[in-house]
Amino acid sequence: MQRYKGRFLIATIIIVNAFLILVGRMWYLQILRGNEFERFSLDNRVRSIRIPAPRGRILDRRGREIVVNRPSFDLYILPEDIKNPDSLSSILSSILGMDVDNIRSKIKTSIQKSRFKPVLFTKDITRDQLAFIEARKSSLPGILVEASHIRKYNYGDLGAGLLGYMGRISEVELKSYPGVRPDDVVGKSGIEKGWEDYLHGKDGFIEMVTDAYGREVNLTLFQEDLSRKDSLPGADVILSIDLDLQYAAEEALGDRAGAAIAVNVKSGEVLALVSHPTFDPSDFIKGIDSTKWKSLIEDKSYPLTNRATQGIYPPGSVFKIVTAAAGLKEGVINENTYFYCPGSYRFGKKTFKCWKNGGHGSLNLHQALVGSCDVYFYNIAERLGIDRLSGYIKRFGFGTPTGIELSERVGISPSREWKSKTFKKPWYEGETIVTAIGQGYISATPLQVAMSTAAVANGGKLFKPHIVREVISTNGKRLIGYHPQENGYLGIEERIINVIKEALKGVVNEPSGTGRRARLDEMVVAGKTGTAQVVSLTVDSDKESHKDHAWFTSYAPANNPEVAVTVLVEHGGKGGAVAAPIVKQILEVYLKLKKEGSV
Amino acid sequence: MFDRRLLRNFDWLFFFIVIVVCAVGLINLFSASYQTGLSVFKKQLLWFALGIAAALFISFFDFKTLERYTSHMYVASILLLVIALIFGKEVSGSKSWISLGKHITIQPSELAKISIVLAIAKFYQGDFEVRPYGILDLVKPLLLVSLPLILVMLQPDLGTTLMILLISGSLVIFMGVRIKSIALLVILIIGLSYPTWHYFLKGYQRERIETFLDPSRDPLGSGYNALQSQIGAGSGKFFGKGFKKGSQTQLRFIPEQHTDFIFSVLAEEWGFIGGFLTLLLYFLIILWIVDTASLAKDKFSMIVSLGIASIFFWHALINVGMVTGLLPVMGVPLPLLSYGGSSLLTAMLGVGIVLGIRMRRLPVTKEEIAL
Repeated sequence: MQRYKGRFLIATIIIVNAFLILVGRMWYLQILRGNEFERFSLDNRVRSIRIPAPRGRILDRRGREIVVNRPSFDLYILPEDIKNPDSLSSILSSILGMDVDNIRSKIKTSIQKSRFKPVLFTKDITRDQLAFIEARKSSLPGILVEASHIRKYNYGDLGAGLLGYMGRISEVELKSYPGVRPDDVVGKSGIEKGWEDYLHGKDGFIEMVTDAYGREVNLTLFQEDLSRKDSLPGADVILSIDLDLQYAAEEALGDRAGAAIAVNVKSGEVLALVSHPTFDPSDFIKGIDSTKWKSLIEDKSYPLTNRATQGIYPPGSVFKIVTAAAGLKEGVINENTYFYCPGSYRFGKKTFKCWKNGGHGSLNLHQALVGSCDVYFYNIAERLGIDRLSGYIKRFGFGTPTGIELSERVGISPSREWKSKTFKKPWYEGETIVTAIGQGYISATPLQVAMSTAAVANGGKLFKPHIVREVISTNGKRLIGYHPQENGYLGIEERIINVIKEALKGVVNEPSGTGRRARLDEMVVAGKTGTAQVVSLTVDSDKESHKDHAWFTSYAPANNPEVAVTVLVEHGGKGGAVAAPIVKQILEVYLKLKKEGSV
Repeated sequence: MFDRRLLRNFDWLFFFIVIVVCAVGLINLFSASYQTGLSVFKKQLLWFALGIAAALFISFFDFKTLERYTSHMYVASILLLVIALIFGKEVSGSKSWISLGKHITIQPSELAKISIVLAIAKFYQGDFEVRPYGILDLVKPLLLVSLPLILVMLQPDLGTTLMILLISGSLVIFMGVRIKSIALLVILIIGLSYPTWHYFLKGYQRERIETFLDPSRDPLGSGYNALQSQIGAGSGKFFGKGFKKGSQTQLRFIPEQHTDFIFSVLAEEWGFIGGFLTLLLYFLIILWIVDTASLAKDKFSMIVSLGIASIFFWHALINVGMVTGLLPVMGVPLPLLSYGGSSLLTAMLGVGIVLGIRMRRLPVTKEEIAL
């Protein structure tokens, strides 16, 4: 077959080359990319199961558990194992008591979105539901139950505003918490949010070998490269809050909308911080349903707002403490300066009224603070001018964040520059007059008022309020401990402060004082009432939303102050009538706790 | 008919290499199937014994006898293909199998490959054209190939269709075709591909082709198979994970691991070195058969040898190409390694024919004449 010789050569060359290609490909897969494929084969067979880390607890200052965890049985569906979505929907519907169509659509979207990964269907099923599902496991392919931890609130909605609520992590939050899984929950407000990094803990995992169908395999052959990591529980956050005092403050405020704060004047530690109306954090633990969320968001009483730190109000007459200090320090008055109050004050073409129609007559600073005479402070304001006054507004901490570890707003500390910047208008002198009695542009949070009161009480230190005492890891290590920290000093001589403190004692204890209803027999209380007008001073209205905000800010004992208590009741009316008795109630409990030696 | 002196010329080495490859195949199949019971392995062992017997048996026939029975074998193959289409057992959408009792099934399309090769050889044997063949000269072989081809397409079995085309095409081109005719054929194929695509191919077949062109269309289907088989082979690295220790194999990640993807099992457990040596054995077998063709005394023997060489060659190339991700996933077994009686028997028949031709390639030696 000589004449085919050339063709045999060509055929041989083709065969040689084809085999070279195959061997080359083997070399490429096994030698060049061998390690990569080895890793792939490991990933293929090793399935990692999450061991969820229990979240850290939140405790009060005496170690009482406020927020803890409890086990939750969560229902997952594994779409690839579902044989008949329709029959599964109807079975689940009868077990869970949920709408069939709702379940069906949820299952179908899971099938489309992630065929091979379990999808969280519902959290925290009941024991009965769990028992029912476990008993019928074989007839419910594609249904998995996994245990996890869920928040438990030992005292219901007590302190909800400061503790905060939990929710599914958002896209944005995923970036700031890199270790958290996309279907996990994180703190959305309050302490839960502020201490997320410490509270969250680190999930562990356990690895197991699965075959191509995802079934667990117990071949000893492939077990050697398995690892496991225990979860690291989140650290406990110990609050400076005293549960008893917090409870007392919430009871005292009752159904009224407002805020109550108790602060240690010597350290800035917050002992109680109440905002009402509030929400029930338990509503959030399973993932809040949209109608409930909508009603919370749209609720005109703003239950999600922590009024103590995020509510801004005109301070009203409690602000007279600042004006008085400014007047004395700048020398425009002294303790013996008398002004005459005829019930109103003319400035330019305008008349500013005193709250007391008939007027207070002639009075000095002490009497003016005790009786909360507006005209006396109008006089100081006119002599001071806004530029000097606004300096003191800032010194007392208004218009700047307190630095508490919760979300807060700052309110407004008015000044000439502030007005030209904000409104592009000049400052009118008449505006200084109303600022002197805490009306007009000035606004503040109850916490700012409480901290300024504490500063007066301790002789001039403006503390940074703390709500967390320490953070302790599960192995008992103290991760964070707080020490008193000052935001600033009032910079006012003790002599001047003592004049004001004497007057504040008078507010509660003198017969003509506006804050008599805060008086206690066993402890001398000092304080200042405030009745902040919501609308302009000239409008008179009985409408609930136009009713005055009632303030009372105080400290006790007057001669050796330990605690400052500030109460605000939204649209509550007169501070002396409404807010002062609440303060009294809180201080009574404080006194009782003090006797027990617990505060 | 049988000359005892021929035994002197029996190519023991070639036969030994084939047995070695079969042994490799059995060891490998054991690993791939022992977890699910050894019935697959035992059946293959039986087919292996039967294959050796068939190879030895057929090697006793000389080319004239083979040529004489070519028509019979061809007709028998066509009949079996028709029976498969009518009474066949449907496995994953194809009617490629005939059940003989509970445990035995045969795949006529495998055996048909040998018949087609014989038929083509017979055509050229009776033809004395020297110049390159034109289309008109090739009408007869084209018809001979088309009949079984169409029957296989009807099953439908894409992989075997392609194999028949490649094997017979290789032979026709080797024997010489006019450039013009090739051009005409190409035009004809392009012209026919449109109606084939739209009317002849089934939906899933179109899908397979589309998936090959764009694997991301179906990452969990054949794309998944291709990936898992590459992971299996690649993770074997140089020395392999060891017998019965391939995680891809033992945990069933490799699809069709005892049939079409058997080479992935080999590559995972025996590594580059095992795969390379096995490919080397294949290479030797194919070259050995090509050598037999070049030494053949007559055209018929030459073409039959070449046809058997191309059966081995194309199966090995396409199968290993598929397993290693060079080629699309299609149902093409690896002769002697993949599980399957018909495939093993066909390969062994081919080996037997080659052995027979090799025995008769040389004139009987003088010494023997002297006897």
